[in-house]
Formats: sequence, structure tokens, C-alpha cells
Amino acid sequence: MSYSVISYDQVKSGEDRKNIEFLRSVAAKCRKLLADANVTRYTCSVSRSTNNEFNVDSGKFSLFRTQFTDGMSLSVYIGDKKGSASLSSSLAEDANIESAVRDAVASAHAAEDDPAWVVAPKEEDKIFLSGNLDFDRDAFFGRLAEFLDTVKTDYPLIMLEQVISNHSRGINLYFNSSGTEYISLSGAYCSEYFYSAHDGDNSSSFMVSGYMFKDLDKPFVKIGNLEKSLKDAQNQIYTKPFAGKKIGKLIATPSLVDELVSSALENFADDYCILNGTSIWIDKLGKKVADDRLTISFKTNGEDFVGGQAYSSEGYLTEDYNIIDKGVLTNFDISAYTANKTGYKRAPNGGSNMIIENGSKSIEDMIKETEFGIYVARFSGGAPSINGDFSGVAKNSFLIENGKLTSALSETMISGNLADLLNNIVDISKEQEADGANLIPYISFDGVTISGE
Amino acid sequence: MLTDLISDFSGSFEKDSHTELRAQTNKTRKANLLNGNLTSNSRSESSGVSARVYKKGFYGFSSAAEYTAESCRNVLNAATANADYFASHLSSAKPDLPPLPAGSVRVQEDITDPEQKYYIDFMREIDSYIAKKYPDLSSRSITAYADSMEKLLCVSNGYDSHSIMPRSYIYVQMTAPDKDGQPVEFFKVIGDFGTFDKNFKDPAALFPAIDSAYKSLCDKKQAVYAEAGFKTCILAPYMTGMLAHEAVGHTVEADLVLGGSVAGPNLGKIVASDKISLVDFAHTAFGKPVPLPVYVDDEGTKTEDALLIDKGRLVGYMNSRVTANHFNMTPTGNARAYGFYDEPLIRMRNTAVLPGTDSLQKMIESVDDGYYLLDSNNGQADTTGEFMFGVTLGYEIKNGKLGRAIKDTTISGVAFEMLKTVDMVSDEMEWVSSGFCGKKQPMPVGMGGPSIKCRVNIGGR
Repeated sequence: MSYSVISYDQVKSGEDRKNIEFLRSVAAKCRKLLADANVTRYTCSVSRSTNNEFNVDSGKFSLFRTQFTDGMSLSVYIGDKKGSASLSSSLAEDANIESAVRDAVASAHAAEDDPAWVVAPKEEDKIFLSGNLDFDRDAFFGRLAEFLDTVKTDYPLIMLEQVISNHSRGINLYFNSSGTEYISLSGAYCSEYFYSAHDGDNSSSFMVSGYMFKDLDKPFVKIGNLEKSLKDAQNQIYTKPFAGKKIGKLIATPSLVDELVSSALENFADDYCILNGTSIWIDKLGKKVADDRLTISFKTNGEDFVGGQAYSSEGYLTEDYNIIDKGVLTNFDISAYTANKTGYKRAPNGGSNMIIENGSKSIEDMIKETEFGIYVARFSGGAPSINGDFSGVAKNSFLIENGKLTSALSETMISGNLADLLNNIVDISKEQEADGANLIPYISFDGVTISGE
Repeated sequence: MLTDLISDFSGSFEKDSHTELRAQTNKTRKANLLNGNLTSNSRSESSGVSARVYKKGFYGFSSAAEYTAESCRNVLNAATANADYFASHLSSAKPDLPPLPAGSVRVQEDITDPEQKYYIDFMREIDSYIAKKYPDLSSRSITAYADSMEKLLCVSNGYDSHSIMPRSYIYVQMTAPDKDGQPVEFFKVIGDFGTFDKNFKDPAALFPAIDSAYKSLCDKKQAVYAEAGFKTCILAPYMTGMLAHEAVGHTVEADLVLGGSVAGPNLGKIVASDKISLVDFAHTAFGKPVPLPVYVDDEGTKTEDALLIDKGRLVGYMNSRVTANHFNMTPTGNARAYGFYDEPLIRMRNTAVLPGTDSLQKMIESVDDGYYLLDSNNGQADTTGEFMFGVTLGYEIKNGKLGRAIKDTTISGVAFEMLKTVDMVSDEMEWVSSGFCGKKQPMPVGMGGPSIKCRVNIGGR
């Protein structure tokens, strides 16, 4: 499970207990200021966090930074008028808290009544623990140094333009006017890599890979698909544009599948498009919108994840759900506000920690069974139109001909429609990539336009 | 305004290192009306202090939200300890940084900060105008947005400074069904450097721009697919500015050059037509302030313009102190940090292609079969110079005349190849400043240019 519920007595560190008590004192000040301003409905979260980060530039260590941050996010409702304020400033200074309350209250007074704004009803107070709170500086530094050496030795054509590796830990205290108090303690390591491969003056496109993880038990290069991505980049130095225009299959790597599916859900199922009524799925609840084999879930407490969202900003405890179940749209990914405005059901969670169910075929077989198509790891394109039309450049890609990856490609565009893609699935791989926040397979889609010179 | 608690520490900076101590406040004010519903109504503020210390070839950095003399001392100590950690674990052959000219540039007056009611009332009038005049819209969205960045900087070597950079905008988005019943949308941004109350005094002053946006939307309702392939296109100033920023600007940021960008092997070479010159302006261009002026960067370098392409030849990079030293160039003040908790990175400021001598009308008349591309929703580019821009407003050009609007599409190419095809550059010059550049940290940037005529790959059918 990505998080567990603990008691106050199970908070091990004295520093953490001290910070919880500090945040409770901030909450008490905030409640008093709100009462003085006659505010009876509100939601608020206050937080205190520390981030330790190593930066590597051009393959060499360059920066070690440590950030101590406080945060506050407050929404108040005066009648049915909502105003919000947020801070990333010291909560030890009362003037900052007073300023945030004043700003939120003034904003609410300037708003107009909208009864759709709600505060979640009283829930049981809980403390959640996720990830790893302990930063092991020397071991983390050692793992990163080891990674730099590995890349130099095993992937000699790779230039690490930048690596950002950090451990972030924090405590968040949420409280609202219904009397609920949630506390979350979380910590995780994260490493992001920006790289390209070079041979003399020739180079591949840059590639980005990133992972969250809880422990330092294995070399960074062994996490997720990083080894494969580094290897692929080395084979993408010498490219050629695709000649002409042809309809074919698109085999998307897990990171691209994540991007395409997230883009489709944003375009067809999230707050903005449902609220303004422009979603082409607006009348599709309970109906088929994708291939029968496609099941997409948001499991905020999935065992594959480092951290999960235990409660929403509106104060609801989250629950796992399938947004698309065997091709059928079961729910929109919408807030309580949008649900109240439109009459649709509120999403059981905020849409994080996506899992796409895997299939039974290996990625190798999926490529073997593709007569003509394109294998793409990254897409550089404009935001899709609201009807789902997209077009852009296929980056870090190979042409697939007669079941084999042949030439690496550049200056090659792919275009299609996101809604159509979900119905044109050829295969879903049995392999899934776990990046710490999502679990995604490769997917092969048919009917994509591939064009070049 | 920020109280100066940092100058007192200049005497305690370590002698064998370079130290920057920075106090900063960022403010954001935002409100959104979606079909008349106030869906967003928020104010945010971020403030604190940070220190960065350069020792023996490594940077240590620390930041704290608390801005007191004690926290200034704490972040200085923590940044020094972080630099020492690297120095004790790693060997470095990096030289010390050469000294910078010293001085001080300080802002003279504070900026206004209107109440949220001012933003909402202004938006309401715009929204009422649109709702009443254009009832055929299926959706309308108005966003009022303002941000500001105030910085106090004290350095062990270079310029100290106190700066404030405010900007404010109105975003209008309109949606309507096209001839086939499919939704089409158009997005317009209005605004500039300055606080919201200075830039937006009278809602009626925006009505002509809104009418123009509605006309563009109507054109898009009848739009046709572009014909895919390499075409002669005229890129309007917004698109040219995006090209300057995304496709060329990023590749000539010296940290990306060190990371292997295409600009590395091309320094001193011809990378564009001789009609193309490109400059990253610091604070003044053509005798006027640029949209987002920067006078001292966050390393204490007094800013100057960075000439990047001179009549087609790549002549320079944008640098930090470290990269300038590496490339034996003079730093021109491109190291900028977004929040108090951020370290300075090499960033663009106001990047533009310089105007030429051709009239836009003559440029259009010279195209037999091509496109006039005016607006974009985003752009991305590779370190290889390969770029892609979304096109959200464009028209056919047939036999020297503008024709039908085209559906949303994309253009793509390789910057240093595409720029060699430029054969006409207009005599106009426009800037935009509403965007954020993304590169580890966000950053407000200005970009601009004239219209250019070139050959580029356009998506379509």
C-alpha cells in the first residue's frame, strides 16, 4: 500500500511530533482569525517540508541544495461566495497567516453566490504515513555517483545533460469547518534524467526519464525502463525523416501511453471540459468509449506506488476506482464543485496514481506482428483540439517495417484523434513500467497518420 | 516592499568563495469566469530567503521561508555546508570565477496591488459584453491574471540590486460549433508589463480586441485542413518570437550547449539566412523598455544584450558566470531564479528576431501557394534544433492573397535549416510577455519579432 493509517504514538521522530504540534498551533491561529472574520465554512491545509537535492550538469555534480518550505492553502465561503489564498512563506510569522486569511476573506466578499461550493462533511480524524521519511545523504550521493560511473562505462555515447535527484519529506495538516483533521507524513526519493546520445557532432533527440522510489536498495539504472531508454537513445543518433505519408500503427512506450491517455482524459473527462460542456464524452457515462481490453484505474493507495493521495483538497477521503472499465466510461474525473454544477457524480479521488491493466502479449511480439508502423517514446506536439485531434513530431522513435525496428526517425509527424485511438487498440503489452506514481504498459494503436518529407 | 535584512551580511561572506544572498517575494492574483461562473478566485504569495555559495567548483544552496536575520545566517551556513560536502567528496578542476564589475541598482518605488474585487469587476464587464453580443458561443472563459516578482540581492562580488517585475493579463477563450457541429475555440491574451490597475483601467478599451477574436473564431468555424507538407509560410510576429525562443534560444543557452545542443558545433558558422539577426535583450530595445526588463541578474551580473545570431552567423551563447568562464565569454546577465527557493539558471529574458525592411503586404503578395500563420497555443523544441509549434490561427495564401482559415495544426522543422530558407523579413516588430518558459523552474520571458517568410513543414491532410 502506498500509505498507511497510524496513530500519533506511532510518529517516531521527535522533530516530526514538534512539527505536527507547530502546524496544529498554526491551524488554531487560523481558526481564530476566521472566527473573528465571521467565517463559518472553510477548508485549509498547512504544511512544512524539507527538500534535499543533488544536481548534475553535463555529467558532473554541480549543485547541492536544501530547501526548508512552509505552505498554506485556504478557501473560505461567505454565504456561498468562495475566496482562496495560498502562501509559500513562513508560517512562524503571524503576519503571513493574517495576510492569507485577509486575502481569502476579501476575495470571497468580491465573489458572487454559487451554492455548488461545498465543504466535505465531518470525517474521522486520521494520520497517514507514506514513503520513506529518512534521508540518507551519503547513501543517496553514493547511488548517484554510481549511476554517473555506470553511464560513463556502459553507455559511452550518452551525455547526461542534467540529473535532478532529490529526497523530499513533509508534513501536511488539513482541517475544515466540519471539524475534520487529517495529517499526512510523506517522504520519497525522486530522480529525473535529461539526456541525449552523441557521436561527434551528431546527436539523438533529448530524452527525459523520471522515477520515484522509497529505498536505495538498487542501482538507479535498474529502476523502471531506464536501461532500455538509454540503450534506445544510443541507437537514435543517426536518423532519417520518414518519406511521404502513410497510415500505420503506433506502438507507444509506457511514458507516451501515460501522456496520450492523460491527454484524452483531460480533454474528455475532467473538470473544465465537463463544466463548460465541450467534452465529446459528455453523454457517454456508462457507455463504451474504448476497446474492451482497456481498463484505466486511479489507485491512490496502490501497492506499486511510493506515495498516494489519501484525501482530496475538498476534504473527502479518497477511494480507488476504474474511470474506464473494460472500455466503458464509469465516471468523470471531476471535483465536488463540478459535480454539483452538472449533476454528475464526484470522482472518488483526484485522478492520481494511474494503472492501465496489462495485456498478455510481450512488447517483442507486438513489434514482430507489426507490418508497418512507428515506435515512439516521446511526442512533441501542440495541445490536442477539444475534439481530440492531435498532431506533432515523433521523438525518440523508430520506424517499424515487417516486424522489425528499422531506422531511427527525425522530422516525422504523427497525427490522429485521441478518442479514436482508444477504440483502435491493437494490443496491450504484458510488461508494465512502474515509475513510482503510475503503472503503464506499452500499447499498439492502429490508424495513425505518419508523415514526413 | 521587502525590508533589507541581507546587506548587513555582506561583511560575513567567506573570502574564498562567491556568495549570493537573496530575499524574494512572488505574488500571483488570479480569477476565472467560466460561462459566468467564478471558478477560480485566488491570491498567492511566496516569500523567503536563499543563499548560494560557490566553492572549489561546486555550488551549495539553501533556502528558508522565514525571512529574519537568523534565517539569513542559517541559509548561509547550510549553503556553505552543502558546497563543502561536494568539495570533500569530489575533486574539481574548475577554476575560481573571474571578478565582476561591482555596483548597485535599486528600484525607487513600490507597485500597487489591487484588491481581488477590482479583477472580478473588470472581468464581469468583459464577460457581460461577450455574453450579450455573442450569444451563439457554446462556451466563454475570462481569466484575469497578475504576477510580480520582487528581489533583493546582495553578492560578494558583482552588483547588488533591488528589483520589482510586475505583469498582468486578461485571457479570453471562446468556443463555438463549426459547420460540422465540432467544437472550435479561439484564445486571446491581452496585457503587458505593469500592474493590473495600470494596464486595465477601462473594460471597453478591450472590446475591439474581443470583437477581433470573435471574428477569428468565426473564420475558424469555416476552416479547412491545411495541405500537409513543406510549404512557403509567413510566420507572424508571435510565431517568429516563439521560434526565436524555443527553437533557437534554448539551444544557445550555454548549459544546454554543454549538454550537447546543436549550437555547440555551430558557433561561428552560418545557421540562418543573412536576413536573420537574433538578440536576447536585457532591458531596452529600439529605444524603448522591453516587456520584461532585467537590469541585474541573480548572480550579480549587470545585464547587457546578448547578440546570438548576427546576419545569419551564430556568434554567441547566453551564459551564467560558470559557463561564461568555461567558454571564455563575457556573462551578459542571463542567470535568473524564479522563486526564493530556486537557484539561478541560464534563462532568456526578451528574445527577438530583429525586424527587416519588407512590408507584410509585399510578403503576402509574393506567395503563390502557402500559409499565413498567426497564433499558437504552444511550442517545443529539441536540443537538436528540431521544433514543433501548434498553430491555432492561420490562413491560406493563394496567388498572393489571403484565403480561407485553416484548422488547428502544427508546424515543424529544424531551426538552423529552416532559418536558412528565410527570404523576407517584415519591417514591423511585436512583443509578447504573457508566457512562462519551463526549464526546471518556470520563468516569465518576453519574446518577439517581425513576420518572416520561410519554408516549413506543416501538418494537415
